[in-house]
Parts: sequence; structure tokens; C-alpha cells
Amino acid sequence: MAAGPDDLKALADRAVAEIAACADDAALEAARIRYLGRKDGEVTQATKQIATLPGKDKPAYGAAVNEAKARIEAALESRGDALHSASIDTSLRESIDLTLPPRPLRIGRLHPVSAAIRDVSRIFGSMGFETIEGPEIETDYYNFEALNIPPGHPAREKWDTLWVSNPLGDDPKMPLLGRTHTSPMQIRVMEQRKPPIRVVVPGRCYRYEATDAIRESVFFQYEGLAIDEKLTMADLKGVLYSFARQYFGSQHNVRFRPDYFPFTEPSAEIAFSCVICEGKDPHCHTCGGDGWIEAAGCGMVHPEVLRRVGYDPERYQGFAFGGGLERLAMVKTGAPDIRMLYQNDLRFLESF
Amino acid sequence: MLIRVPLSWLREYVDVTIPVDDLAHRLHMAGTEAKGIERKAWDNIWVGRVAELVKHPDAERLWLATVDYGEGRRKRVVTGATNLRAGAIVAFGDVGAQYIDGHTGERAVMKPKDMRGIKSEGMVMSEKELGVGEDHDGILLLDDKLPVGAALSEVYAETVLMLELQPNRPDCLGIVGIAREVAALLSGKLREPGGEPLGKDTPKALDVRIEDAVACPRFAAARLDNIKIGPSPDWMQKRLIAAGMRPISNVVDITNYVMLELGQPLHAYDLREVKGGTLVARQARAGEHLRTLDGVDRALPPGTLVIADEERGLGIAGIMGGEDSEIRPNTTTVALECASFDPRSIGPTSTKLGLRGSSGSAAARRFSWQLSPDLVPLALARAIQLLREHAGARYAGTVDRYPHPRPAVDVRIPFAKFARHLGMEVTRDEAIDALKRLGFAVTQAGDALVARPPAVRTDIAIPEDLVEEVARIVGYDRLPIHLPDGPLPLVEAHPLEEFRERMRDALVGLGLQETVSYSLIDPQWLGRLTADGSCIAPEPLRIQNPTTPAQSAARPTLRASVLDTARRNLRHRAGVGIFEIAPVYLPREHALPEERWTAAIVLAGHAHPDSWLGSARDTDLWDMKAVIHGVLTKLRTGDGGEVKPGAPGLHPGRSERRGSGERDVVSWGQLDPRVADLWELPAASFIAELDIAALLAGVAPPRVSPPPRYPAATRDLAIVLDEATPYAAADEAIRAAGKALVESVTLLDVYRGPQAGEGRKSFAVRLVLRSPDSTLTDAEVDRAVKRIEGRLLHQLGATIRA
Repeated sequence: MAAGPDDLKALADRAVAEIAACADDAALEAARIRYLGRKDGEVTQATKQIATLPGKDKPAYGAAVNEAKARIEAALESRGDALHSASIDTSLRESIDLTLPPRPLRIGRLHPVSAAIRDVSRIFGSMGFETIEGPEIETDYYNFEALNIPPGHPAREKWDTLWVSNPLGDDPKMPLLGRTHTSPMQIRVMEQRKPPIRVVVPGRCYRYEATDAIRESVFFQYEGLAIDEKLTMADLKGVLYSFARQYFGSQHNVRFRPDYFPFTEPSAEIAFSCVICEGKDPHCHTCGGDGWIEAAGCGMVHPEVLRRVGYDPERYQGFAFGGGLERLAMVKTGAPDIRMLYQNDLRFLESF
Repeated sequence: MLIRVPLSWLREYVDVTIPVDDLAHRLHMAGTEAKGIERKAWDNIWVGRVAELVKHPDAERLWLATVDYGEGRRKRVVTGATNLRAGAIVAFGDVGAQYIDGHTGERAVMKPKDMRGIKSEGMVMSEKELGVGEDHDGILLLDDKLPVGAALSEVYAETVLMLELQPNRPDCLGIVGIAREVAALLSGKLREPGGEPLGKDTPKALDVRIEDAVACPRFAAARLDNIKIGPSPDWMQKRLIAAGMRPISNVVDITNYVMLELGQPLHAYDLREVKGGTLVARQARAGEHLRTLDGVDRALPPGTLVIADEERGLGIAGIMGGEDSEIRPNTTTVALECASFDPRSIGPTSTKLGLRGSSGSAAARRFSWQLSPDLVPLALARAIQLLREHAGARYAGTVDRYPHPRPAVDVRIPFAKFARHLGMEVTRDEAIDALKRLGFAVTQAGDALVARPPAVRTDIAIPEDLVEEVARIVGYDRLPIHLPDGPLPLVEAHPLEEFRERMRDALVGLGLQETVSYSLIDPQWLGRLTADGSCIAPEPLRIQNPTTPAQSAARPTLRASVLDTARRNLRHRAGVGIFEIAPVYLPREHALPEERWTAAIVLAGHAHPDSWLGSARDTDLWDMKAVIHGVLTKLRTGDGGEVKPGAPGLHPGRSERRGSGERDVVSWGQLDPRVADLWELPAASFIAELDIAALLAGVAPPRVSPPPRYPAATRDLAIVLDEATPYAAADEAIRAAGKALVESVTLLDVYRGPQAGEGRKSFAVRLVLRSPDSTLTDAEVDRAVKRIEGRLLHQLGATIRA
């Protein structure tokens, strides 16, 4: 005998009571499946029986099924809500010691030299200087001759050179060397482009030199070159002043004093005001007490250099500058010894 | 070049009207770099007189000296010095005096001490103890005329400016040159040292001949008779010592003195040893040898200029004299050589002979710069004057060969050019005044000036040189700050550099620390990258003159560098995750080497440390694959290309090498454990190398698609395959069969065991299927899964487990 509407009411009563007693989400889900499950739920089964009923009984039975289903769904929802808010209440009463250490996670960092290269590119970039790069293994021509330093020139002693031998055969007409400065890129850029030119060139350089706390035989430099028809020493000073303010802070300044490079005339040495003592400590290790950190060389591009790349020095003029990247990073961060940058002790690198 | 300028010596040529610290600063800011000021800290050191000298009662070799040091002060000193005598004037160090220990060279402070039962209450001091010389054999005996009781620093000390010169300023190699700078800065008057003009007399039995007028543009020699060799005067010795030279004898000291004064080296020969009476400047002959003053027999390389007589070489021109013709105690007739040499000859020869820089002679260092030939007669006249005064010399004439005299340099500059280059106004008067103060002869010609530099300045040739001269006297501080306002150039794209920096960021983002190591490495490292020592990279470029063997090859691979970094860090930590991005240097024939940007990654040791949330775990292959997959996915590169067999230096069964053609693009895996042992690395060491430019070439442009609009269907499959079939084959088959419907394939489990069967394995994978156009029906999903199962069966012989 088929079940009647009364059976469905009893089924719903039983289900509602059971649902109200569910202690957690899992029990609630089990109850839902028991009554409303798509395959074997009791209400689902009851629904399937509608088809077997005589026509006259169908409406009443159908209504009873719908009502039972609605009551059970409402009970499920209400119990669900109650369980959810109870669990929130429980969770809110909980307190965890957040001073416990976190899950171990590796933190990656850029090497300070890479970071300094980016700073240099970004800051000079903001003044219209395009960052370019060039070969580290160079020819004597670009490293010296084209920069107005012919063979035997006394100024060569300023750049003690590491000479490079090619295992595929040395070409006596093109001796190779580790570029002693980034300045060869002045020539390469001017050979390839026409004024106006504004470029900055970061890169690795090499010198035959004993290493100490401030000197390395393998090191990085940044080079700047700007050529057009009206650039002056005052523009050069302005660009470097602007750099110092952005890199070290707005209170910083630059000082120029005469210096000598065969590829600039007039030439200057650039000093930045001391970041560490700001000129207040007569025993400062960073600046030696005079408040200035000698950081780079610069000057107006020598007319001979312009002539060599086919520029008319009567029409074009401009400036170049070049300095040690490590020096910038060391001064800014207080790193005491250039060699530490390349020993790659992670305890040191992680301190940046 | 660092030179020492004793202040008292400088004052002989110019009035110094400001304190020495200010003077150093002014010079520094005008281009003569001041490295420091040397002052003697001679507190508690006095001029003393040995009032009494008796033998120590209990010691054979010791003396008791009672020293009077003024105002009735007397102390008794025990000394072993043998050159003391009663009445000698000495430097007396009282208790508390600082001195340099004669044996150890260390700084020390005088304390009273007991010597064989007698207390010594001070010390009589040697040159070395005072720090004015090297002599420690005897006590320094001072000039009898010094006032007893005076502080030694007041009567004997010398303040010395330490100046670093630039090679364009050979005129400053002489103290007179520095004085010229000082006179310009202080608007003072320069007092140049004298010496009568040489006159026209030519000497008997002495001539000079130039055989190479390029290497030796000017050659002069004076004959001096009646020489009496002896010590030079005390004041001269003191100045030489203060300037850093050792007094030898009057003739040698005078040549050195004139060199320090004017910058021009001279050389004195014993004329008896000049065979034929002619000094010849000529190129060394093939195979020629010469024994130099330092007693070394030297083979003369081609291109060496020698000074010879008619029979043999007497010295290496401008670099070092020969032993044969040096001044001896019985020398009476001197040929005094004064010449100009081409720095392009002297410099390279010094280098070839190993006599460059600080190991070279003072003369060679000076001749490596472009000294003015006009110094020759000045220096010769000055030396003759001093030899007459201090060596009893009788001047017997000079011969001076100067076949192609240097023309005077007149440089014309329009006044407007100063402002055009400097970006600041310089008045006509200022410009003229600055140049005149520097000793230039200046004339005004309309809107320009014409300046003739002092004869000793060889660095002035073009108008820009005058711009600098004027600017440095006016002061670089006056340069205004201005930003360029000209046209800006077009900027080029730099895809490689941009891609490389994004890779750097990606690796940092994955938690790896960037390292930067020397690009020059020990070539022996390259033999330690494979178990059998074979190379993983081409033969490297070598440094011909390395500073150390550890930096004698330009690295053709980053692997050795990063392994070394890992090894050193693993001494003090349990795990590393590092990377380096740098070019490797690959030789090319008749061209600059290729500088190929490469990334190298090392994961080794612990992946993470012990913690309260879990214990430590060793790094494994999947950590490394995660990094590589992460960076390649992030940068949207391909996977590196075809798989190539075997990755040298890596574990043969736990590594992968991909690339195209000859070029490896991505290599990664576990380090060959035998190689790990060579580098003292743990077995859990993993390395990857990426060819950055090659990866960039494989970057696909982003294919942006909106998020899916229709729901996905998920199906799990268990695929049983032969052990030899790689997972990638299954993944590929699934995607190929499922076509565009397969959104993702996730491997959930790998099972080996009875249910898979012998020699088989089971991959549990989850497929997510989705159509971009509609909600997939169950039937569509079933059809797709059937296709996939069929493909797995036919292509890979897979069975599908329920």
C-alpha cells in the first residue's frame, strides 16, 4: 500500500527533529542526503511514487511531498545557519600566540651591485639617459686609442691593464684586454649614433691591480655620455647634482675639482657630500673627515675624441662621466669592504 | 705619481702666506691632489749635548752618556752606540718620546729601563728611531750649531706635502713646478733657481751624438773638471731625505737635487770611462747586455735606447745607468748628461725590464712623462752651479744637440669659448689674470686671447686646455648647477636587457638570493666540473698577466662560480638557494668573444630548516624543477627546445638538457655526486643553467583571453603504463586526444605495486575539461574521455583502471 500524506508529515517531523539535533556540518550533510539525496533520499523516493498513484490521489500526495520537502529544506538551512554562527562564536573565543615564528620561507634579494645598477639606470633615465651596455672584453683601440690614449702614452699608467689571450689565436693587429673602464662605449655609441646623445652605461671592468678594501681588479663602473650643441660643464654638474640628490637624498651635494683624463678637457673629479657623517665627523672612515667622497671622474668630451668618431667639434660638444658602482652602493649602505660584495657570504648579502 | 714636497724647500721658490693645511686644500682644489701632510710627532725629543761619556762598569759594549738638554736638565742614558763622543750634539728622547724600534720597525714609547744594573732614563736616537732615515748603526749626529734644549721638531723637523701628480703635468715633478702652482693660487711671485746660462763654450774631449732623434730629441752634456768627491752639504742631505731620497755623494746628490727641484733627471759619468769621449744615444743592438747600477746583468730588449760610448753601452737611457761608468770616490772629471727622451720609448722599455712604477728608478718614472726639452739647459746650468759650489768643480763647457727644436705653442681662444664650455661667465680680465698667474704670456687679439704657456708646460695645446686652466684658477666651485635643456634623443628598445632583468626579478621572487662573483676564475676549476675532468665549456680566454692564478681565465660557464659560492656558504648554513646572472665569454676567431648572458641557479642542502611547523627537508629535484618551471612560466618562454641526450657534469639519470642545434638552452638536474664530492657539496645539490638570449627567442606573445563563461567538468583517471614511458608522453597524449576541451591535467599520484603489475606504474590524473562555447553535457564529457582513453591505449599501451 502506497504511503499517504500523513506518512509524509511523519517523515518530515522525524527529519526536522533529526536535523535540529545535528551537531556539525558533516551530520547535517548526512541528513540532507538521507532525506533529499538525488538517488536514495527518502523524500526523493516519495516523489518517485507519485507516478504510481491513482490520478485522484496525485494532487494531495504531491502537495504533501512538496510541503515535506520545503520543511526539511528550511530546517536544513536554519540548522546550517545556527551551526555556522556557533562555529564563528567558537572561533572568536579562540586566541593564538602570534609571536610564534612563521613557516620558514626563503626571501630572495638582488645583489647590492644589481640594485645599484638599477638605481643608476632609473635616475639617469629620468634625465633622458638611455641605458646601454657593451663588451667587457675590448680592443686596445676602443679602450685606449680612440680615447686619445695612443700606445706609450704616459696616461696609460692610470689604467693598469689585464691583457687577454684568445685560445683560437691572438690577432696582433687587435690586442684584446679587459676593458679598464666603461669609456670605450663612448666611442661605440658615437660611432653608431648622431647627436643628440644621452646614454648611461653600467658594466664590469678590469684592472691589473692589487685588491684592498676599496679597490678590486674586477669591478663595476657606470659611464655617462651626453652630446649635443650646447652642453656645458654646468649641465654636467647639474646632472650629477641631481643624481646625488636622488640616490643619496635631497640634502646631498656634489663638489668638482680639476682632474686629468686624456679624453676629456676640462676634466674634473666628482665628490659627493659624505652620506655617513654629513661632514660633521673629522675622523669619519668613509670620507676621511673632509666631508667629501671622491666617487667619479668627468669632463667635457675632448675635441680629439669627437673628431675621431667623425663629429665636428666646432659644432658638437658634450660631457662624459664615469664612476665606481660599488663605491655608490658601499657609501649608501655603509658596506665596509668592496671584497665582501664578491665573496657572496649570504649572511652579508642578506643584510642589504 | 706621488711626490714629497718639503715645505721649507718649497718656500725657497715662493712665499707661502697661508697655513699648510690651507695650502694643501688650495692645491687639491686646483688639480694637484693632496694626499696628506707629513709632520713629525717629536714630543719629548730635544736637542741634547753629550756632556759626559764613560764605559758601563759591568758591560763591555755599553756606554753611559750623560746628556744635557738645556735649562740645567741632565739625564743618564745607557747606549751601545759606537759613534758617540763627548760634546756631540744628538737627538735626545726623554721618557714618553715616541720612536720607531730600530729592530722591529714598530712604533714604541720611551720608558726608563734598567740595563746591566744601571737605569737608562732616556735615549740618544738613530735616524731610524726618529723616522728620518734607515740608518740604525749609529746615533744621528746633529749639526753642532743647533741650540741645546730646543725641541727637535722646531729645529730639525720637516713638514712634507704629499702630492699625487697626474701624467699630463711633468712640470710639477719638480718642486719649482709646484711653486709655480702655489704662486698662481696665492698671486705670489715665483723665484726660479739660478745657474748662469751655459754660454757657447764647448768642452774638450767630450761630444754627444744622437742616432735616434725620435727617441732622444735633445742630448746635452757638460764637462766638469777638478771634482772632489765627498759628502754633499748637510742642508742638501736633509732635503733629499725629506723628499724621500738617500744621500750618496756630492755629485750624485746634486743630480738628484736638481731632478727634485726642476723635474729633469741628469746622469753623471766618470769621463775616464767614456771611451772616445763621445756619448751616443742609440738603439740597443741585437743581443746587447748591460750591467746596471743595481748590479744586475740585463739583456736589452729591442727598442731599448742606450747611452753608449764608441765601444760599449754605458747605461739604459733615462732608466738606469751602468756600473762601468758610475761615479767613484776617485772620480775627478765628470761628463754630466742631460737629455730629453720620448716617453713612448722609455715607458714600454721600463715595463719590459720590470723597472716600471715604484720599482723603477726616479729618473725612469719622470722620463715616462713628456718632460719639456726646454728643461735641459736649465737643469744643466743649475747642476753646474751646485757642482762648482759643493764639489769644487771647474766648468769646462757644454755640448747640446737639439736637431728639431720644439716650436713655441701659441694657443688662441675666443673669450666666448670660456662661457660656451663652462656654462658660466668668465670676464676677460679674469681669464687673462688666471693665465698670467700661471706663467703664461698672454696677448689680447680682438675677441680672443693668445696664450703661450711656460716652456716647461707640455700639456697645453688646444683652446680647451686654456678653458681648464682658467676654470681651475677661478675655481671649479664657481661652476653653476644647470640641467641640460637641449633636444632629447630617441630611445631604443632593449629586449634582451629587459628580459634579463625580469628573469632576475622572477628568481628573486621565487626566494633565491642573487650573487655576483668574479668573472675571472681559476682555469683549474673547469677541470672539476665533470667526473672525468672533461670540459663542459669551450677553452676559455686567458689573462696574459693575471694578478693571481685564481683570476686568470674569463669564465666560459657560470657553473664553477656558483658551485664555489654554494660550497663556501654551506660551511655555515644548512641550505642555499642562489642564482647568478652574468655573461660567459666564448672565444671567436678574429673577433671579440661572444658575451652570452646566462643564468645559473643552485639549490643545495636543506630546502628549509627545522622548525616547530615541521622538520627540515633536503632539497630535491622537484624543488629545482619548480624554480625552472616557475621562471619559464612567468617569463612565458618555451621549455628550451628539444631534449638532448646527457647533461655533462650532472647525474645521468636525474638531469635534463634542452636546446636546439649546438646550443644548450636549459640544463638542469642533480649535480653528478662525484662532482659534488670534488666541490665538497652535499649529495642534494641541484644546478640549472639557462641561456637567456635563446629563451628570449622562444617567448610567445601573451594570448589574452577573458575568463571562461561556462562551467568545467572534472574527471579522474588512473592510467597504467610501462615503467619506461615518461609522464610527459601521457600528458601529451591526453591533450592531443582531448583537443581544446582539456583545460588542465593534474598528476595526483604515482603508484607502483601489485595493482599496477610488474614493470608498470599508475598515474592518477585529474582532467579539467571545458568548452569555451557552451556547458559540456555528460555525453560530451564521456566522449572526450573515451577519445583520451583510446589514445592512451593505442599510442602508449596504457590500461585505464576504474
